[in-house]
Amino acid sequence: MIRLNLVLMLAVVASALYLVGVQFDSRRLTTEFDRARTEARRLATERERLQVEKRAQATPARVERLARDKLQMRQATPAITTYVTYSAAAEEGVK
Amino acid sequence: MSRSIQYTSSPLLASRTPVWRSKLVVGAIALAFLGLAARAAYIQVFANAFFQRQGEVRFARTLELPANRGRILDRNGLILASSVPSPSIWAIPEDVDADKAQLQRLAKILEIPVADLAKKLDDEDKTFVWLKRQVDDSVARQITALNIKGIYQRKEYKRQYPEGESAVHVVGFTNVEDKGQEGVELTFNKELSGRNGSRRVIKDRMGRVVEDVGDQIPPMEGQDLQLSIDSKVQFFAYQKLRDAVLEHKAKAGSVVVLDVLTGEVLALVNYPSYSPSKRTNLSGAQLRNRALTDTFEPGSTMKPFVIALALEKGLVKPDTVIQTAPGRLTIGGSTITDAHPHGPLTVSEIIQKSSNVGTVKMAMQTQPHEMWEMFSQVGFGQKPQVPFPGVVSGRLRAYKTWRPIEQATMSYGYGLSASLFQLARAYSVFARDGELAPVTLLKSTQPAPGLRVMEVRHAHAVLNMLHMATEPGGTAPKAQTMGYSVGGKTGTAHKQEGKGYADKKYRGFFVGVAPIDNPRIVVAVMIDEPSNGKYFGGDVAAPVFSETVQQTLRMMGVQPDMAVRPQIVAAVEESF
Repeated sequence: MIRLNLVLMLAVVASALYLVGVQFDSRRLTTEFDRARTEARRLATERERLQVEKRAQATPARVERLARDKLQMRQATPAITTYVTYSAAAEEGVK
Repeated sequence: MSRSIQYTSSPLLASRTPVWRSKLVVGAIALAFLGLAARAAYIQVFANAFFQRQGEVRFARTLELPANRGRILDRNGLILASSVPSPSIWAIPEDVDADKAQLQRLAKILEIPVADLAKKLDDEDKTFVWLKRQVDDSVARQITALNIKGIYQRKEYKRQYPEGESAVHVVGFTNVEDKGQEGVELTFNKELSGRNGSRRVIKDRMGRVVEDVGDQIPPMEGQDLQLSIDSKVQFFAYQKLRDAVLEHKAKAGSVVVLDVLTGEVLALVNYPSYSPSKRTNLSGAQLRNRALTDTFEPGSTMKPFVIALALEKGLVKPDTVIQTAPGRLTIGGSTITDAHPHGPLTVSEIIQKSSNVGTVKMAMQTQPHEMWEMFSQVGFGQKPQVPFPGVVSGRLRAYKTWRPIEQATMSYGYGLSASLFQLARAYSVFARDGELAPVTLLKSTQPAPGLRVMEVRHAHAVLNMLHMATEPGGTAPKAQTMGYSVGGKTGTAHKQEGKGYADKKYRGFFVGVAPIDNPRIVVAVMIDEPSNGKYFGGDVAAPVFSETVQQTLRMMGVQPDMAVRPQIVAAVEESF
């Protein structure tokens, strides 16, 4: 009888220690998860910010100005455009 | 001896303690245990909730999960408005103990005068002052690096508008609290703004989240909104309009571009405009989305509708000849004149030359209610169904109150009013074989069903007349554009001032469609008070139309329907 009780008590102590360990792990992981999530949010907003920035750098107004001034381009007109008609045969040719 | 407890067998060591004393001690200890048990029961059972709460207050926190405001995109998914983090800087004046050098650096980073900053921080009564709201991320990082006690940051979001002044009248803007104030930002504020969520957590002494408790309320992100606007068309229209307004020293101007098939608004621009990021000292003239909120007498641009009505009622045919000489006509004591007197003109030529007398002669053969019906069926006097703040319906009086002279003047666009947007939409009737296109500011992909107003053949006949107006001999040869056939009607209206008409103040219009054989777009242009010599719609507005059509059709990938003499100098050998 005493021996059984002893075994049971050891089991209780062991499981209690295990519980403490698991609890600790869970908290540590939660913290890590939370940090990762915060980082993900930060990166998402950063991405959004950069997208807006990229867009701001590529607005028609800026593209037009740079094309005209820096690259000496001019606006396309039908007079300087060659129109090609899309057809299945043409696609075969490309292949 | 019997009254004492025997602790030992030796009589020498026998104590003389009375029995009650030890019993008292036992009783006291028992009572103490009872007290403990009662206290334990009280804490764990009866007042459990209270203590749980107190404990939670000390380590559980509710974190807000912020929702982002939705983005506004153009039809190709390019960003027209988006929120980016932009922290606000605040301080508790009492806690700030920065030395002079630090303050100077802070003022420099925030770009405010040192004196202003010192004044803000001097007020020790206040426990909270904003130093600057919504600064850039890089500025915020510099302030963090300064590490001054008592200076804090609050996470906020700021709206960015990459397209700037060309699209601001459509997109609108938000205030510092991220609430829509103008334009689409205002009308779709509910859809765009999300709802913040929350999350209850347990934090440890280091402030780290260690456990989630209870339910999480996930944030409801704001919806993205895709408009029908094409930012390239929008920009080109804005650019051409701005150039024209400046060239003709005009007060203002607007352009509306509609997709005929889907009824989408491809561009809606106004000048003068403003930059959404610099909104100080704005005037109503800059803020107004004129194309939707301002009405005016449409002048000669109304004539095609009268002709269409006359065709519908079988009163005339396109080649019916009407005598317009001597260029004057008197109705009810008032005289109607033509700018240039013409002789006998066919109905087509009346549109081509924009003869008031010819139009009035046809109009007077129709019943007032027939004319009223035609005008209201194409949307005059009716509020356009576009979700936008301040959309106006214009003025079209009930036909019962019309006097004959009023019916006459209305046939060439005086005595009723409309916005440029209404005018553009009305012309979709001619572009869609007699059907009025529904209009939308949101992207739609399939052709929208229209409302039939007139027969296909009559719409075609008027379309041909509009085409003639842009050919040599018409009022608007300047509306022609390379490679594409166009058609449209000019308008030049005296501006109303007080009770009469201003002597030398005009509005020039041009409303047209292109290409003629298979119309894809309707473009309406209005130039307000051109005062550099020229003021006819055919001179001031038609060139804007021409360039806008050219760019828009090219960007839509519409192949030119007219032969163009190629100017390609050297054909490049394809080498891939």
